[in-house]
Amino acid sequence: MLNFRKIKDKLFLTFIFFGAFIALFPLFHIIFTLIIKGMPVIISRGTMFFTGTLSQGGIGPAIVGTFILAFLSSLIGIPIAFLVGLYIYEYPDSKVSEFVRGLLQIMLEFPTILVGVFVMDILVIPMGTYSALAGAFALAIIMMPYVSVYTAEAMRNIPYTYREASFSLGLNCFKTAFRILVPIAKRGIFTGILIAIAKVAGETAPLLFTAGGLYEIYPHGISAPVGAIPLLIYTLIQSPSSTDHATAWGASLVLLLVFIGVFIPIRLSLKEVKL
Amino acid sequence: MKRLETLKVLTSPAVIFVFILFVYMLFVYISMSIPVFQWEGLDIYLKNIWHASENPSEEYYGLAAAIWGSVYTSVIAVFIALPLSIAYSIFVNDYAPARIKNLVIILSDVMAGLPTIIYGIWGAFVLVPFLREWVMLPLYRELSYVPFFSYPPVSGYSYLSAGILLGIMVTPFASAIIREAYGSVPQIYREAAYALGFTKYESTRLIVGLIRPAIISGILLAFGRAIGETVAVSLVIGNTFNISMGLFSPGYTISSLIANQFGNAFIYKHMTSALFAGGLALFVIGTVVNITGLLYLKRWKKNVKF
Repeated sequence: MLNFRKIKDKLFLTFIFFGAFIALFPLFHIIFTLIIKGMPVIISRGTMFFTGTLSQGGIGPAIVGTFILAFLSSLIGIPIAFLVGLYIYEYPDSKVSEFVRGLLQIMLEFPTILVGVFVMDILVIPMGTYSALAGAFALAIIMMPYVSVYTAEAMRNIPYTYREASFSLGLNCFKTAFRILVPIAKRGIFTGILIAIAKVAGETAPLLFTAGGLYEIYPHGISAPVGAIPLLIYTLIQSPSSTDHATAWGASLVLLLVFIGVFIPIRLSLKEVKL
Repeated sequence: MKRLETLKVLTSPAVIFVFILFVYMLFVYISMSIPVFQWEGLDIYLKNIWHASENPSEEYYGLAAAIWGSVYTSVIAVFIALPLSIAYSIFVNDYAPARIKNLVIILSDVMAGLPTIIYGIWGAFVLVPFLREWVMLPLYRELSYVPFFSYPPVSGYSYLSAGILLGIMVTPFASAIIREAYGSVPQIYREAAYALGFTKYESTRLIVGLIRPAIISGILLAFGRAIGETVAVSLVIGNTFNISMGLFSPGYTISSLIANQFGNAFIYKHMTSALFAGGLALFVIGTVVNITGLLYLKRWKKNVKF
């Protein structure tokens, strides 16, 4: 009997260590594979890989496209999301706040392809063309919940006495929020913004029917189609050509490095991040 | 009193905007689906048929295969994510040496945020060939009389590949919730269990029992993530209209169907609407699963105070 329990205990420990290992192993394998397959491509093509067009073996337009999309979507999404975050912080007990918090949680988990199809219907079809604007709008919808949740969270972590002190000096809600609380919470808010940007820079599905893709020339306007690194990878994987596959591996390595480069510093500066 | 409202005046429009956006999205999906409902009724969800034709009167669409594929692959994903995320959470809280604990948490968070296309390229070029060679072919050779293994793994692109890839992708999401819940159980419970002579296994099982609502919530949210995932899945599922229990059979999911077909759907009269009906199904399934998961999580956070 005692022996049986001991065996069970050993089995349990094996399961824990093995399970934890298997849960994380894919990450190492992915990084390893991307370096093995992507590095030679980048090295052999040199700077051309970062500046050239697709037929020259480069992903220049896609890199620029990703930056344009990240910038535009931030421009659209962050102000709105920031104000929503302020609202939930400022009126935490109201019914509206509770509802909006639920809505943001749903948006966090929402299938991103549905956002893309929605934006195609409301922007791409009326405009008659794929555009950077449509892609950025889709990404803005996806980034908003992150920014709102982080803003509200960062503000909530400020001790209540700061608020009371500000009120006692005669400042109103508006001034208290913008002059006192936001500057204190700016680090947390900034973290949320960076995480949201890192997230949308890697998104593919919402761009499928909105951004359009543009890899042979550099982007030339926000109402014209634009490419993005993830979208380019998706297109290239489906191509039968092995040159395209090589480019896809190189682009994936670039995407991975950009993501890790943005994410790890944020993550290290924080105790816990919820994605 | 009036002055206090400045902030509300400024922030309310943003809140209203987000609310309208969501309602408008639901409205678009419903209104765009209506033509196909008028055309073929509930057959759009019940039949497995995909007949595109230049002649609108011959067009007929059924999403049954895609719905089946979405649910089936997500269930496989959850079966993989459940043991892995529980093992990981116990490891992080109880067994990880202090030095690597933080690292192990960061690695999991990196996995949660990693662009899905990276999982996609790895899945299509590394995972699928591996699974075909080392899992599917041996199982098919030895156990093909078992219904799950009866489909010949021709290409390797299959429900199993998609399910496993999704399982890897959603494990970090389930882990994040379970890890936090597990860590919130005070040490005193474990001490009490040890004092009663429990082994490590028995005391851990006790604690896992205590956090069951959090586990359910983590699994539901993981399911919600899995069912909405698009690009990684569409690269490994094989994109074939199929309804089969066979794990090695290629299939479709709603999201991969939309990703593949939506771009040229406008050529046909009813296809766009049919795909919107698929989107609506995904919308509803995803929202219901996620809300249930969030309610479990909320209840757990509210009711369980150690």
